[in-house]
Amino acid sequence: MKRPKIAFFDFACCEGCQLQVANIGEALLDILDIADVVEFREVMSEKWDQSFDIAVVEGSITDHHAIERIKMIRSRSKLLIAYGSCATIGGINGMKNNFELDEIRKEVYGKDYKYFDTIKTMPVHHVVKVDYFVNGCPIYPPEFITVLKAALSGIPYDVPDKSVCIECKFNENICMYEKGLTCMGPITRAGCNSWCINNGNICYGCRGMVSNPNEKSAKDILEKYKIDLNLILNRINMYNKCRELEDNEQKRY
Amino acid sequence: MQIYKILKKSNLDSLVSILSKKQKFMAPVSKGLNKFAFESVTSSKDIALKYIPTILAPKKYFMPQYETLIEYDTKEGQNMKAVVEYENMVLFAVHTCDLAGIQCLNIVFSDRPKDLNYLVRKNKITIIGLECNEVCDEYSTCAFMDNDLPNGGYDLFFTDLGEYFIVHVNTQMGDAIINDTKLFEDATVSHINELEKLREKKRKLFINQFGIDRQKIPELFDKSKESQIWDDIGNRCLSCGNCTNVCPTCYCFDVMDVQNLDLKTGKRIRVWDSCQNETFAKVSGGESFREARSDRKRHRFYRKFKYPVNRYSRFFCTGCGRCTRTCMAKISLLETLELLIKENKVK
Repeated sequence: MKRPKIAFFDFACCEGCQLQVANIGEALLDILDIADVVEFREVMSEKWDQSFDIAVVEGSITDHHAIERIKMIRSRSKLLIAYGSCATIGGINGMKNNFELDEIRKEVYGKDYKYFDTIKTMPVHHVVKVDYFVNGCPIYPPEFITVLKAALSGIPYDVPDKSVCIECKFNENICMYEKGLTCMGPITRAGCNSWCINNGNICYGCRGMVSNPNEKSAKDILEKYKIDLNLILNRINMYNKCRELEDNEQKRY
Repeated sequence: MQIYKILKKSNLDSLVSILSKKQKFMAPVSKGLNKFAFESVTSSKDIALKYIPTILAPKKYFMPQYETLIEYDTKEGQNMKAVVEYENMVLFAVHTCDLAGIQCLNIVFSDRPKDLNYLVRKNKITIIGLECNEVCDEYSTCAFMDNDLPNGGYDLFFTDLGEYFIVHVNTQMGDAIINDTKLFEDATVSHINELEKLREKKRKLFINQFGIDRQKIPELFDKSKESQIWDDIGNRCLSCGNCTNVCPTCYCFDVMDVQNLDLKTGKRIRVWDSCQNETFAKVSGGESFREARSDRKRHRFYRKFKYPVNRYSRFFCTGCGRCTRTCMAKISLLETLELLIKENKVK
């Protein structure tokens, strides 16, 4: 088989996931043994104007220009991997959807706001077909490598549909709830090896919710900690606001 | 004849030191907040002799969270090599509830088809039990499950009697430790009397909270399939899987292939799975046999109190209380059993 060509692209995001890939270290050399990276803004100057085998896309879709651009990338690529919370679930950018679009534009661009186009934040799969998802803010590098291997060998990868608690217990961490802290782990998708909790932080839910979260019970538990309901909803929506679009106006590819 | 020995407390550190030089030596260690975990130690200073059940049961040494079963190579044809990962290990200060848990796993993995990975690894682990002189907390139900006193499943069994441990020698592996370390003395009748006194005292401390005989449980579960109680706890359950991961007798696993970056070689691993996970009973086409949380919760209880009794004549709840301690939705095994007993008027 010919060496596959991989190209990296970014949309509305902090480009932190690209940084995670650039920092993978030794395994990156092994990846370069089996594939050619033809475009990757954060690590190389070269551009590529032809087709490629795998497009790796970071960031959310937040304006019409982005819609056109992601459609163009999709048409040039055999496979598309969305990586990072912004691309896979809308992520932090989804908080924009809490507001009226004009209100947002005025806040950001001032009196000339009408010249700046904007739309509701969407994850990539709301606009084009996505073949693989690597959730997380930022991505967990070992999972990125797993997904890349799956893409290169043509086998599917399912984002785990079980809670972060599963991996957190594997690591025998003391539960944040027993420390008197609240944590999004129980309703958030695993796959990160409970990265944050291993390092003393709570889970913020960056990997998106499990497919069937028991939100009512989760709210009940959080309420027992005497936390204001709005704060609880904000906590849940910090990364997961875009899930509202799934049932509403947006078509899911 | 039962063989009892004495180990002076002042000799405990020498014992740990000698044994930990020869092989891994695992013992309960304090993690703060009254939480404990089995970890590798080299000195008795690091061991928490007074501890409540560890976050994970010692099952993690018998069936690790991630375990390689096969290594494969597809460069030329399909080559596979079976792998058994093990290391020599002493497991120290295992409470009677966890000894019972290990006995349950032994039964399951010795059942046909025998699980060689488990059985080979188990033979490399020396188990030293430690008696609970007091009840650990309000969540344990070990007296009800008949696991408050030692019931075998160890090589040596320690009971703390103040200045010294009285040690029951149960196997050749245990006897070898006595002979090799030369730290143990013969027990006299007065030592054994002290042990009897402690056990007598324990009979008053470790009590059955439920007011029914344990043997009534299968009957209770026969009547409880359609109970409203499963819906109630199902509504509260987050399906986080904590209860099954910390359980000393939950042994379900998933098997998957992990390829190396050359995309030609790799390994087949097994990973702990949980009946509480959404995907556990999902099959091709998207159908799930236990879609409702209440069904999954019920299944967990039946897997402890009914199905294994039918198959192995043994309860698979050891009474350790871990599932109750770990549940952030505060689903309590003790409360659930009490409610079922009340609902069915079992006496």
